[in-house]
Amino acid sequence: MELIIGGAFQGKTDYAKENLSVSDSEIYICEKDREPDFSGKCISHLERFSFWCVEHGFEPADYFFEHATKIEDKIIISDDISCGVVPVDKMERAWREANGRLLIRLSKKAEHVTRIFCGLSQRLK
Amino acid sequence: MKIFISGGAKNGKSMFAQEIAKKLSGEGHLWYLATMEPRDDEDDARVIRHRKEREGWGFKTVEWGRNIALHCEEFDCKGTYLVDSVTALLSNEMFGGMSGEPDKSAPERVAKDLIAFSEAAENVVFVSDNIFCDAAFYDDWTDSYREGLAFADRRIAEKCDVVAEFSCSQIIFYKGAELI
Repeated sequence: MELIIGGAFQGKTDYAKENLSVSDSEIYICEKDREPDFSGKCISHLERFSFWCVEHGFEPADYFFEHATKIEDKIIISDDISCGVVPVDKMERAWREANGRLLIRLSKKAEHVTRIFCGLSQRLK
Repeated sequence: MKIFISGGAKNGKSMFAQEIAKKLSGEGHLWYLATMEPRDDEDDARVIRHRKEREGWGFKTVEWGRNIALHCEEFDCKGTYLVDSVTALLSNEMFGGMSGEPDKSAPERVAKDLIAFSEAAENVVFVSDNIFCDAAFYDDWTDSYREGLAFADRRIAEKCDVVAEFSCSQIIFYKGAELI
């Protein structure tokens, strides 16, 4: 499994397309108001999935590992939402923390963890 | 040498930018290109504080808040420049117009102008800000600004020899560590 993280708009999807031979049709984009489909090769905007979970009373890390199959083959992309001011909104606070817990679980399982900054990559694992 | 530096607020990027610009300039001209356009007392105080911090470093200051391409035509761009910051320049260009709407063409223009400027100058140190890692849902204006800054940052970083991020005053290199 490849885990790609980084700030918003930094070029994470471009990195996956250029380096991990992913095509647009293989990328599933999570939305915060939709139950996710984890069947594809590449799952992006995982942080939006985390928001959906929090809103529906699920722990994202548990939900992900219960519902995703062939995790070892997947390419997972998430915005890093961990560095701003603690959100005033209770739901957003829970979201930020739950996404962090999910990324910790994923990074333990991942073969590689890559952080993208200004379109450039840094291998964290 | 062209260097791009970003990171969160108060992480040591400005001090590093000053040091590296000074080192690169050697005996040549050393310029501080200030892009912030002061709007209130708080900004004025910040400008005074920053000027004080640079005293004795040998910087000459130019204040170009927008239209870098125009200034570039009128100015001999030889020398070493510290551009502080991409963030403020984009803000002026994107939200400084009279229309009351964000100028969506500003990110492309700012990137193009700054790249052309850096090709004319000998050494440039660009300072930008990492505003991309927080947990928030923004209004369209703010989000278009974040997307625009990321666009400009990426275009500039692509052309730079060194790209680095600062965290807790530590430098994280993404490109060109061997050149520093």
